[in-house]
Amino acid sequence: MNKALSRFLSFTIMIGLLILALKVINWIPLAMQQDAVRRYNSIEEVRSTLNRKDIFVPSYFPQQISWPPSAILAQNKPFFAMVMEFTRADKRNTALVISQSEGKALNVENPIVILVITEKVPYTIKGRDAVLTVGSCVNDEPCSGITWIEGKYTMTVLMKSTPFELTKIVESMLR
Amino acid sequence: MYVAQSFCHSLIAAMITDRAVKAWNIHDPLVRQRFRLIVILFPIVSFPLYQLINPVRSSALFRLDSLFDINRWLFLELWGLMPISLFFVFFFAITSLVFLFQEMLPVLRHTLDSGQPEHDGTRLDVGPFIEEASRALSIKKPEVVLLDEDSPLLFSTTGKDAVIFISTGLRQALTTEQMQAALAHELAHIARSRRPLLIAVFLLRIIMFFNPVVLVKFRRAVRDEEKICDDIAVSLTRNPAALAATLKIFFKKPDEAPEPDPQKLFTQNVSLEEYGHNLHLEDRIRRLEAGSIDTMEHWGVPFTFALLTVAVLNYFIV
Repeated sequence: MNKALSRFLSFTIMIGLLILALKVINWIPLAMQQDAVRRYNSIEEVRSTLNRKDIFVPSYFPQQISWPPSAILAQNKPFFAMVMEFTRADKRNTALVISQSEGKALNVENPIVILVITEKVPYTIKGRDAVLTVGSCVNDEPCSGITWIEGKYTMTVLMKSTPFELTKIVESMLR
Repeated sequence: MYVAQSFCHSLIAAMITDRAVKAWNIHDPLVRQRFRLIVILFPIVSFPLYQLINPVRSSALFRLDSLFDINRWLFLELWGLMPISLFFVFFFAITSLVFLFQEMLPVLRHTLDSGQPEHDGTRLDVGPFIEEASRALSIKKPEVVLLDEDSPLLFSTTGKDAVIFISTGLRQALTTEQMQAALAHELAHIARSRRPLLIAVFLLRIIMFFNPVVLVKFRRAVRDEEKICDDIAVSLTRNPAALAATLKIFFKKPDEAPEPDPQKLFTQNVSLEEYGHNLHLEDRIRRLEAGSIDTMEHWGVPFTFALLTVAVLNYFIV
């Protein structure tokens, strides 16, 4: 019995060491390269760390959306990409996702997915050609999204709401 | 992504299974081979399986909280010039070439050659031993054919009507006990070929042609196969010393080693597990002489524990 226990312990200790080693090996590139994808506490931190001045943030938020963003992910390599998630005021779930990217958008864990598209139409917003998608997400919740090109960036804003609120938010992002 | 993650998963699986083998002091080649199969087979299915379980496993947030994210290293640039991913590509390309030339092409040649038997010899009567041993292994008694060749040769074909080939040179060098040990080893290969596990694993492992960890582990599994057959042979003859002495005839010191003859390698009708591999005779002889042929009966617990650890840990390796 003692032998069996010591073997089990020896194996468990080695697995513990392996996990520790993996954590260290995983941390090294993050320490060496500031540009890798990571969490940020504020938009200002993204601006200063990644040296990006042109980050698009809405100046208008409907009352049900809470400020600041609940999660900010950004990277500079292999291309700049950033995702901001905003929860509802009750903090329960993500209600607004703003994605800005030079390549493909960052794949986040809890995106707003428009499951049923009822309308997908070209839309002009402050002189930019955009595509407005309207439909519903999980539990038939109304959802909408807008995608457009802003200089070198592909912008996507998704919201669990009708397009009326969404367009107001997007308009407040642009000059 | 499949390539990068399956490589990581096989590497982690190799570390875990090696630790399990050491912790539980496993020497039985049959059990060791089963542990190696985890490393060979698990990474083939791990990535699609994990994605099926959790589609958001590839998301940035999951990656950030993961135990190890290979992308961090792949996109890391050395001196701001060269991404590390280039080294991985180079590494995988070399492995693919090794697999192609040392495993795939010889197997294809063997498959093509096996349709045209070219070993002419005379039928050899080796006494009642082969009949008794075949009965003990529940296989049809194979024919033993004597090849007119001075160098020591011993191999078998493992088809429906298996044949054991032995050269005149080897026959003259062996005593009766050694001859029985040699035949018992070949009978073990024939018996195990009735359940062609390694061939099935080889076919599956083709998917992992780029993976250096799988390449190494498959070769070790093949070496285990030789030891498994040694153990079966000893169980039949109860004479490990005779088998060790037989193996010594094949063992040559480096200064005595003949020049490799690739042409001969390809035309020899050797079994799958012998392709491109040294038989590690020294290790096998030492093992037989030490009499350290131990079988492990209760291997299920460490095996299951290792497999579960591999599955759980690799889930967080993206």
